[in-house]
Amino acid sequence: MDNSEAQSALSPYLILDLTEGGCMIGGRLLADLGARVIKIESPGGSPSRIGPYYKDDINPEKSLFWWAYNTGKSGITLDITRPEGKEIFRDLVLRADAVLESFEPGYLDGLKLGYNNLREIKPGIILTSISPFGQNGPKSLYRASDLTIWATGAYLFACGNPGRAPTWISFPQAGLFGGAEGAIGTMTAIWHRNNTGEGQHVDVSMQESALSPNLNVLQMWGVSGVEFHRLGGALYVPSTGVQQPIYFRCRDGYVMILVQGGNEPFISSSARLVKWMEEEKMAPDWLIRLNWQTDYDATTMGQQTADRVGKIVERFTLTKQKAELYREGAIKRKIMIAPVSTTRDISEDLQLESRNYWEKVHHDELDGSIIYCGPFVKMSETPLKYRSRAPMIGEHNDEIFGHELGISPAQIDTLKQKDII
Amino acid sequence: MNEQVFSGIKVAEFAWVIVGPSTSRYLAEHGATIVKIESHKRLDTLRSTSPFAGNRPTVDSSMAFGRHNPNKYSVSIDLQHPNGRKLAWKLIQWADIVTESFSPGTMEKWGLGYEDVRKLKPDIIYLSSSMQGRGGPHSGYAGYGMNAVNLCGFTEVSGWKDMRPAAPHGAYTDYISTRFDALALISALDYRRRTGKGQWIEQSQFETSLHFFAPPIMDYQINDRIMERDGNRSPEAAPHGVFPCKGDDNWITIAVLDDEQWCNFCDAISQPGLAKRKEFATLADRKRNEDELEKLVSDWTKRLMPDDIESRLQEAGVPSHIVARPRDVYEDIQLKERAYFVPIDHPVMGKQSFEPQSSFILSKTPRQISRPSPCLGEHNELVFKKFLGMSDEEIAEHIADGSITTELPGQFKVSM
Repeated sequence: MDNSEAQSALSPYLILDLTEGGCMIGGRLLADLGARVIKIESPGGSPSRIGPYYKDDINPEKSLFWWAYNTGKSGITLDITRPEGKEIFRDLVLRADAVLESFEPGYLDGLKLGYNNLREIKPGIILTSISPFGQNGPKSLYRASDLTIWATGAYLFACGNPGRAPTWISFPQAGLFGGAEGAIGTMTAIWHRNNTGEGQHVDVSMQESALSPNLNVLQMWGVSGVEFHRLGGALYVPSTGVQQPIYFRCRDGYVMILVQGGNEPFISSSARLVKWMEEEKMAPDWLIRLNWQTDYDATTMGQQTADRVGKIVERFTLTKQKAELYREGAIKRKIMIAPVSTTRDISEDLQLESRNYWEKVHHDELDGSIIYCGPFVKMSETPLKYRSRAPMIGEHNDEIFGHELGISPAQIDTLKQKDII
Repeated sequence: MNEQVFSGIKVAEFAWVIVGPSTSRYLAEHGATIVKIESHKRLDTLRSTSPFAGNRPTVDSSMAFGRHNPNKYSVSIDLQHPNGRKLAWKLIQWADIVTESFSPGTMEKWGLGYEDVRKLKPDIIYLSSSMQGRGGPHSGYAGYGMNAVNLCGFTEVSGWKDMRPAAPHGAYTDYISTRFDALALISALDYRRRTGKGQWIEQSQFETSLHFFAPPIMDYQINDRIMERDGNRSPEAAPHGVFPCKGDDNWITIAVLDDEQWCNFCDAISQPGLAKRKEFATLADRKRNEDELEKLVSDWTKRLMPDDIESRLQEAGVPSHIVARPRDVYEDIQLKERAYFVPIDHPVMGKQSFEPQSSFILSKTPRQISRPSPCLGEHNELVFKKFLGMSDEEIAEHIADGSITTELPGQFKVSM
C-alpha cells in the first residue's frame, strides 16, 4: 500500500459485502472513501456478473455491471451455507466493522448468521440488511424485482406518458438507492459504535428510498387532494392544471428548455430565448410582445398560451443541434436549456473532461486501462481513490484465507475441492 | 430519550432547495442540530412551491418545503448586508459543518467561501454542491435537478421507443446527489474525529449522479452501444413490465425472472397450457416473442383490479406490486408498519405528515422526526440568544438595520 493510505476518510474500517445487484454500490462507495471492502461471492461467481459485457463477450469476468459497482473491493468466494464456510465467515466477522447483505429477510437467521448470532461473536458488529420492504412487516417476504419496488412509492406512477403505462428508467435504479442508503446507515452506526462501543442492525427499505424522488407528488395528494398525473415531461402547474411544454425536438435529438415566466430567474431566461429567436428571424411579433411576467404566469395563464409558445419554440429548436442549443444557448446566452444527453454525449462532455472527471483503472488481464466514472465528490483532505479494478472470481482467496486467516495451503485445497471456496 | 447518534453535531445550512437540505436531514434524524440560514429577501424556491396547507399560499404553508425540512431551525439573515454576514460568521464558528449550494463563487463573493472559513476555523467541514462543479467551461451553469436529469442521460432512456423521451418526474438527480453528500459528510466527520482535520467537499451533481448510470456509459465507451429507452422491458426478465388493470389508470408491475417463475405465473393466471408452449419456454424465447407475450399478459390483467393481481401473483411466488398511486402510499400497510409517515403539528399548517429522509432504521438508535419544518425566521431568538449567546440589544440592532430580515419585500408569489 502506498503511504497516501493514511489520507483516506475511512481507512480504519473493514467491511464484508454480501450484497447483490445494484445494492453492491454501497460497498463500492465505502471503498472509494478508503474502507477495505471484501466482496464475498458464492463459489463459481456472483449472479450479479450481468451484462453489458466487455466487447460483448458474455463472460462473468467481463461484466461491466460488476466492474462498475465493485471497483476497489477485494474478492473471495465462500459458501456460507455449509459448516466450514460459516466458520470462516465468523472468523472474518471478528475482524470486520460491518457486514452488508441483501438476502431475503430471515435468510441469514436461518443460517445462524443473523444479527443476533453475529453480535454474540462480536458485540460491536454492525449488520446492514438491504431488502425491498425492510426486515419485518406484512410485505417483508414479498417477491420483488427492481421494477416492482420502483412501483411501490408512486414515483413510477408519476413518470411516463399520459394514456400509456407509466415508465421506469430503463437502467434499474431501486437497488442503487438501496445500496447508497446502506452505506449511509452503516457509517451512521459506525459513528455510534465509536462513541459507545455498541453495534446494531441497520434495516434498509428500498421501498422507502423509491419514495424519495417524489418531490411534492405525495403532498399534492395528502395536503390538497390533487392526484398528480404523468405528462411525459411537460411541466404541470397544480394550481391551474396547465401543462407547460418544456421538451423540444431538435435536429439530432431533444432538449429541455425551462420556458417559464411569472418569477425570476425564468422571466429573464425566457426573454433571452426570445431575443435569440428574434436575431434569427424566428420570433413572431406576438412572441416578442409577450410579457413573461404577467402573460406567462403559471398561476394565471391558460393552456392555449402554453401550447402556442411551445409550438413556436420547437420550430426554432428544430433548426439547431443539441450541442449548439447547449453551448450557445445555455452556456453563452444563459438560457435555461439542458440537452437530453445520450451515453455518447455524456462521454464527450466538455465539462467532465475539463474537470478531469474520468478515472482510468488498470486491468492487468486486458493489458490496459478501462475508463470509469470519476470520484463522486472531491474531498480536499481525503480524496477518493480507486485502489483496484473489481475483483475476479476468488481473486483474493489465497491472500485472505491463507495470509490473513492462516488457513494452510493444504486446507485451502480441500475447501476448494469441497466447493466451499 | 436516548442520546442520539449525532447529538452535539451542528450544521449551518446555507444550502437551499433540495440537495443540501435533504443531506443534512440524515444527520438531523439522528440527533444533529441544523440551522437553516434563510432570508425574506431571497426565498427558498420550495417555500413558494405548492401544495399549500389549506390551499392558503403563504411563506410558511408549503408542504413542498415542509417535506424537505422537518427537524430544523430557521433564522432569517440578509447575506447581502455586511452585518448579516457578521451573523453568518457567528453561525459558522458555532458549526461543525457548513453546507451551501449557490452558484459557484457566490459564497466566495461574500467572504464566506471555504478558504475564508478555513483560515479562522481549520477543522470546519464545508460542503459545496452545484450543478456542474467548480472550474471548467460550464461551471456557471445554473439549474435545478430538472436540468441535470437530462445531462445525466436518465431522460433519454425513459419512455417508449416510438415516442419522445418522458423525463423522470421532478428533480430526480437531486435525490441521488443528496445520498452521496450525506455519506461524504459522515465520512469527513469520522476523519475529523481521528485527526482533528476538517475539509472541503466539492460536488458536481452531474458527476455524482452519473454513478447511477455507470454501466450504460461504459457500454458506450467500450462497445460503442448507445442505450435507448425501451418502455419497461428488461434484458434479464420476461414478461417484465407495467400492465393495465380494471379501472381508470390502474396498473400492475410484473417481473418473471426465471423459468420456474414463468411456470408459476402460467398456473396463477389459470393457463397452465401456456407454460408448455415452446415459443415461451425459455427467457430467450420469451424475449423473442415479447410482443405476443405482453398481449397475453395484458388480456389477463385487464380483467382484474391491481391489488387482486398482486396477491394472486405473490401467492404464486412471482414478483409483482401495484403501481402505487399517491393515495395508496398513505394507506400502504408496510409503510405503516415502519411508521414511515410521522404526523406532527405545525404552527401554521396544522397537523401534517412528515416523511423521514433516511430509508433505514437503526435497531438501537432509530431515526426520529420530532419537530415540524420551521417557519421562516422562526428560531431567530432561540438561535441568536441561546446558541450564539447574543444579547437582546445586539439582536435588536440587527433587526433595526435590516440584517435580520422580518418581512417579505413584496407580495408573496407562488412559483409553481
